[in-house]
Amino acid sequence: MLRPGEKIAVFDGGFGSELERLGLGGIPEELNITAPEAIKSIHRSYSCADVITANTFGLNPIKYKGKYSLRELALAAVENARAAEKPVFFDVGPTGAMMEPIGSLSFEDAYEAYKQVALSSKDIADGYILETFSDLYEIKAAILAFKENTDLPVFATMTFDASGRTLTGTSPEIAALTLSGLGADVLGVNCSLGPRELIPTVKRLLDSTDRPVIVQPNRGIPVLENGRTVYKLSTEEFDESVGQMVEMGVSIIGGCCGTTPEFIKKISRFSGQPVRPHEYIPHTAVCSSDAYLCIDGVKICGERLNPTGKKALKEALVAENLDYLVDEAIKQQDAGADLLDVNAGLPQIDEKALMPKIVKKIQEYCDLPLQIDSSDSAAVEAAVRVYNGIPLINSVNGEPEVMEKIFPIAKKYGAVVLGLAMDRSGVPRTPAGRVKIAKRIISEAEKYGIPKEKIMIDTLVVTASAEQELVGVTLEALAEVSKMGIKTALGVSNVSFGLPNRPLINRTFLSMAMERGLNMPILNPLDGEMTGAVRAYELLRGIDEGAGRFIEIYKDFTPSATAASVKTKGDGAQAKNLYECVKSGLKGRAKDLTEEELKTRPPLEVVNEVLIKALDEVGALYEQGKLFLPQLISSAEAAKEAFSVITAHMPKDSASKGRVVLATVTGDVHDIGKNIVKVVIGSYGWEVIDLGKDVPPERVVEAVKKYSPLAVGLSALMTTTVAGMEKTISALREAGCEAKIFVGGAVLNQETADRIGADYYTKDALSMAKKLDEVFNK
Amino acid sequence: MNSSEFETLRPRIYNYLGFHKMGRSPETDALVADCVAELEKTARFRYIYTVEETVPGFLKKPPYSEFLEGASGVMISAMTLGIEVDKKINRLFHTDVSRGAAMDASASAYLEYLSDKKERELGAKGPRFCPGYGGSSVGDLKFIFEILHTEKIGITLNESDFMLPSKSMAGIIALGKEGRLSCRGCFMAGSCEFLKEGKTCFDQVKK
Repeated sequence: MLRPGEKIAVFDGGFGSELERLGLGGIPEELNITAPEAIKSIHRSYSCADVITANTFGLNPIKYKGKYSLRELALAAVENARAAEKPVFFDVGPTGAMMEPIGSLSFEDAYEAYKQVALSSKDIADGYILETFSDLYEIKAAILAFKENTDLPVFATMTFDASGRTLTGTSPEIAALTLSGLGADVLGVNCSLGPRELIPTVKRLLDSTDRPVIVQPNRGIPVLENGRTVYKLSTEEFDESVGQMVEMGVSIIGGCCGTTPEFIKKISRFSGQPVRPHEYIPHTAVCSSDAYLCIDGVKICGERLNPTGKKALKEALVAENLDYLVDEAIKQQDAGADLLDVNAGLPQIDEKALMPKIVKKIQEYCDLPLQIDSSDSAAVEAAVRVYNGIPLINSVNGEPEVMEKIFPIAKKYGAVVLGLAMDRSGVPRTPAGRVKIAKRIISEAEKYGIPKEKIMIDTLVVTASAEQELVGVTLEALAEVSKMGIKTALGVSNVSFGLPNRPLINRTFLSMAMERGLNMPILNPLDGEMTGAVRAYELLRGIDEGAGRFIEIYKDFTPSATAASVKTKGDGAQAKNLYECVKSGLKGRAKDLTEEELKTRPPLEVVNEVLIKALDEVGALYEQGKLFLPQLISSAEAAKEAFSVITAHMPKDSASKGRVVLATVTGDVHDIGKNIVKVVIGSYGWEVIDLGKDVPPERVVEAVKKYSPLAVGLSALMTTTVAGMEKTISALREAGCEAKIFVGGAVLNQETADRIGADYYTKDALSMAKKLDEVFNK
Repeated sequence: MNSSEFETLRPRIYNYLGFHKMGRSPETDALVADCVAELEKTARFRYIYTVEETVPGFLKKPPYSEFLEGASGVMISAMTLGIEVDKKINRLFHTDVSRGAAMDASASAYLEYLSDKKERELGAKGPRFCPGYGGSSVGDLKFIFEILHTEKIGITLNESDFMLPSKSMAGIIALGKEGRLSCRGCFMAGSCEFLKEGKTCFDQVKK
């Protein structure tokens, strides 16, 4: 009987090296059927271990494409492993495909693949060991699949390199927080390095979790001899380092690449010993796959992705213009936000459908942790499920019905929850009333197994203009909650509604609240006065040790300088007018100069006489080889900024030349060329609907039906994906698409374009812009 | 990276930006220097390789067999700048497209530069030949991936034979002979700007 965390257990060792020693080649999982006796003999050689791992590492429907079914191979593998007469854990490895957003394997498809593994093995195995994962998103999909489809224990391990990160950038702290949060019964590290080199990583894991930790190191660092990988660490050296890890508090030990039964026999001396206690100090933390945020000191939560009172964001949400949200996210990050609130609560929006898309899109470009903000629990779950890491959920309050809906989600996904100190009776008018609700939220969370470090409390800001006397109540309640060791949050700028000079009030209130223990102000990070107040507080309170951060931010500060913390690219000092500005590619000044230009002439004239002329001149220089691509793009970007201003001054229909749908075709994940086309044709006044990369034909067809574009632009980089382009064109023709089809990309030429049935081939972004104008007579 | 190393790298970056016909520009010099400095901080260069005296089956057909003719062995290697560089380029295409284009070109050149350097350190002197060159199929990448277990350094191959992270390379080097690249059968031959000028891409990037 395994008792992780109480008695030390020993897993088996390397399997591949044993197969090699026996001269067994081919697909390892198929050997369970084709060479069962040899496989059994390897398992028997590991009978000194407490747990045997079945020979199923590559057995998932994405990686394994052989002739047997998953079930056939699972049955044979577990039966073979039973030959050692020990509990058998099903070995689960990565799919081998790169996950979204860099790759094309979706979270949902990864989940489905592991669900099939779970269903094919749950009645025959004693547990699951997830091994050699480097992508946090993939292991999240796998843990959920096994947790949701079986009742067996799930041990989850990742692989870290010498820099202490996985190949996709996940640190031990992030891994521990996420795997613990998702309910892995045991978590740890396998493969990676030798036991000695792994000690620092193991220490960081132990410091970051109260879960039992498993370590299965390689037999040291391999060396190459005559072109062959050779492991040289002795059993004694292996045992010594493993022993050190046992003393540190590791619960389960075993081996990976290069280890043999001798190594496992050696370390089996630890089996059954009591697990040494390890110190874990609970703390409130959230993370993305590569950014860990401990909520201590003061952390800024950006509020700009909440549509309340923001017209442009509302329009972007309704139109599903997620690029706008990404821009807002990046701006907030650059301005100093530590995490971002995300809210899509508008009556005309299906939040449950949209929130996961928003979360995925923002996480593609911005690595800050997110606060999932919705009053719709289904939307919260949909977003938290696809979130890569551990998010914050905003929010619950003292109402049992709200907590009943949100706490199970927080527990399942390991999220931190923000609790509002209010209930159906409203916001209490005394500090004691608010603290009482905070305590109710914390104790109710405990019933769901959610520890208090996973709860934050917002003691709620009221408007000083309406209830001046309650400002102090908020702060007193905040101080009380803080003394309880609970992290606190406030939406600080609510305090100044209805009053003049709001920035001054906000800044003062923020300072008062930080001094009372505020950990997470929710504010607009682009307001340099507010972020500045946080930086000054950190300096004065000694959080910013040595004042390094403050000095770095304000080293160029002069009293006359504006306090805005966001710098825009390019000062544009040399640009005297819009024409020069576009020609020189000075995006930073384009908006102001366009406004100036519009004071003296009508919008259309600005387009034709200034923008197009400047772009034509830049284009001509580029074609003559006298101007470089980055400069062409800079000009296009400046022109695009100008267009965005001009559009606001024109009747809606006349603002754009027409729509163009752009996509990098199915199978093709390289979309840089397409992105350049997007900017350049956008600068010529075309409205671009960008479908992204690796777009299946049916999505292109769907977009053409939805947006009725004048043209469709398809991009492919490699010969292998031209077939995908041809399929897309056929699908468009079959669907009766009337838009003209343009193709481009490194491997395309006129001949190929003709062969696959495109209307036009253009060799680069500028040619496409010109061809569009020519074809549509613009 | 010192200035002479940068001067080795700079022409390659210009090639990727399509500037081979042009003179230099101070602005672009500064931009790519900045990109390279950022890449030095961001990239997590990793490699994996093997040296085979017996040529694996998939290399026994042209054009590999011609490339390897007379060689005493073959080095098969894969190298990558890591996923962080892909993320950086993607983000730049959202915030600053021209810098994104420069970063993309710089990263391609930087990968080649580091790969060449690593191969020399490992004792390989000749040019590298990669599946997809000279009429060979990019589909052959899968054999290299199987031999090397490239997943150990985080490179995967998608269904269209794209390597991910995108700034990755996998190829072979002939050992014990002077290898020579050729344009024969290259998929770019029809539209190659270098060939039109009587040059080759690989000659341009030699120091």
